[in-house]
Amino acid sequence: MSRRTSITARLTLLFAAGSTAVLLALGLLIGNAVEQHFIEQDMEVLTGKTDLAAHLLEQLRSPADLSALPRQLNDSLVGHHGLAVVVQDADGNRVFATPHAPFPDTLLKPAGAGSKPQSWKQAGQPWRGIATLLPTANRDLPPMLVAVAVDISHHQHFMDSFRRTLWLFVAIAAVLLGFLGWVAVRRGLAPLQAMRRGAAGVTANRLDYRLSLDAVPVELAELAETLNEMLARLEGSFQRLKDFSSDLAHELRTPISNLMTQTQVALTRVRSADEYREVLASNAEEYERLARMIGDMLFLAQADNGLVVPKREPVDLAAQVRELFDFFDALAEEKGLHLSLTGSGQVSGDKLMLRRALANLISNAIRHSPRGGSIQVRIDRSGGETTLAIENSGEPIPPQHLPRIFDRFYRADPARHRNDEGAGLGLAITRSIIRAHGGEIGVRSVAGGVCFELRMT
Amino acid sequence: MKLLIVEDEPKTGDYLRQGLVEAGFVVDLARDGLDGLHLGETGDYDLAILDVMLPRLDGWQLLAGLRRAGREMPVLFLTARDQVEDRVKGLELGADDYLVKPFAFAELLARVRTLLRRGSRNQEPQLMRAADLELDLLRRRASRGGRHIDLTAKEFALLELLLRRQGEVLPRSLIASQIWDMNFDSDTNVIEVAVRRLRAKIDDGFEPKLIRTVRGMGYVLEADAA
Repeated sequence: MSRRTSITARLTLLFAAGSTAVLLALGLLIGNAVEQHFIEQDMEVLTGKTDLAAHLLEQLRSPADLSALPRQLNDSLVGHHGLAVVVQDADGNRVFATPHAPFPDTLLKPAGAGSKPQSWKQAGQPWRGIATLLPTANRDLPPMLVAVAVDISHHQHFMDSFRRTLWLFVAIAAVLLGFLGWVAVRRGLAPLQAMRRGAAGVTANRLDYRLSLDAVPVELAELAETLNEMLARLEGSFQRLKDFSSDLAHELRTPISNLMTQTQVALTRVRSADEYREVLASNAEEYERLARMIGDMLFLAQADNGLVVPKREPVDLAAQVRELFDFFDALAEEKGLHLSLTGSGQVSGDKLMLRRALANLISNAIRHSPRGGSIQVRIDRSGGETTLAIENSGEPIPPQHLPRIFDRFYRADPARHRNDEGAGLGLAITRSIIRAHGGEIGVRSVAGGVCFELRMT
Repeated sequence: MKLLIVEDEPKTGDYLRQGLVEAGFVVDLARDGLDGLHLGETGDYDLAILDVMLPRLDGWQLLAGLRRAGREMPVLFLTARDQVEDRVKGLELGADDYLVKPFAFAELLARVRTLLRRGSRNQEPQLMRAADLELDLLRRRASRGGRHIDLTAKEFALLELLLRRQGEVLPRSLIASQIWDMNFDSDTNVIEVAVRRLRAKIDDGFEPKLIRTVRGMGYVLEADAA
């Protein structure tokens, strides 16, 4: 058996137990009230008869009158079916007894006398009775004990059948209420079932499913909303993954097809050592590009999984830019580009990663600057935030390309030959690094050029 | 110089052995961790190249075993995984260097030579030569055939690196890292341009040509170029 409990079973049980308890209490209450009522009724009869006997005894003036007593009593008790009376004197001699007098001995002792009623069973018949010591008119005579009892079997019968009916009713009602509870819970939980069915239908190809918020009770609305948000996030990530794999396949296809063709053509006939060397060298270049692309993509994949900045230290941005200018110096000089840097600023981050991010921005700027152009880097500090802007002269980027320029493999000009560009991952890597540092990067076209701007703390 | 390679991927192992043997090393190759440990404990190696993922005993355990046995040769790890934690773990265990697959063979060769050179550092030469090229490290002057050559600081450093490792093919990534401290692959042709400019200064108008491009691998400075 599973240890998990079912909400339906629990609520049903709770409901059934609760209603059974209430009904039981109610049944006990009613039963007691009815019984109490019967006792009062019996007492009325018993005290009435006792009063009668008291009245008769008060008229006893001499022991001679005693002989008349049974007749007087008999007369007054006529017509009372199921009534038993015993009158005895202080010595325990019976002065009078109805033909049937099923009194227990305890009741007939003077000590047993009192107004407290007692019930007992005699020969299968239930009785209730009281015993009272009553004085006679003659002061010389000791008080007499008068015991009166009524047969309460018809009350008992009634109570028995009443109780049976009551318990049966309680049992049936409990079962019914339990069932009702079950139905209510099932119906209450039906939206969950619907959610479950919906969720079961969600697959990689059907991530567009959303729970309808109107059909869900208020208690579940928040859950449904959260689930929907989760689905949306999943869908987004999945879409990116899909785009990524298709980009990847596409980007890998070209170099691999080059490699295959070139190698297979080379193998079709015997060639000179130089020709073989040429093919192998060309292949090696292609492999290197592939290896670099794979390395970059692994870096990005890690970045998507929440890249952690391995080591934070104060990084002097101006110093980094100067070192990078030095690195790119030969390239810039060849293109006749003028590089300039103004301002300074410090950020906290990983030096190697930040250098890589800046290197990508600068090499991108160099690549897109026309011969004889210029690249300006401006660093500003204001309010705890450092901004670094890299502006290069050249063709502005058409506005429709701006939002996608940081996407991996994205190239504003698809016709551009991939050999003079990178794999199209540089800016994506830059953005990942800046984001991992809690910064943001943007791009805009400016008069006669393009400006990348990054903000960091 | 005797090297131990522990690599379970058959092709990689064979090519590493061939490449290193052809580079003038004596090479033993083990195909799994236990064999590698046995060889490493009994043989006398100047350097070990270990794959991280190995059958029977992984690279970390193998390295730990070697160090326990008192073998202090430099160790270079090869791994397909580029995780910072891996790198840290390897270096903590006493690895000396780390290469992520796929890597350029020239890069491996250059790093192996760097590791072997470390510790047995010779007296720093003050004057380096190749054919009629002279580099005076003390006075920071370069000349060829007696004629003074004007070099920028970075060009000087680049020429010094090429001269120091004459005959070795230096991959672009190694040059970028050694001269400019750029420890990442750049997709630009900066190194190409820098080498081209250096070559124009020291080779144009002189014979023999000293700096040679080895296509697909890198650059080499050789006095007796073929």
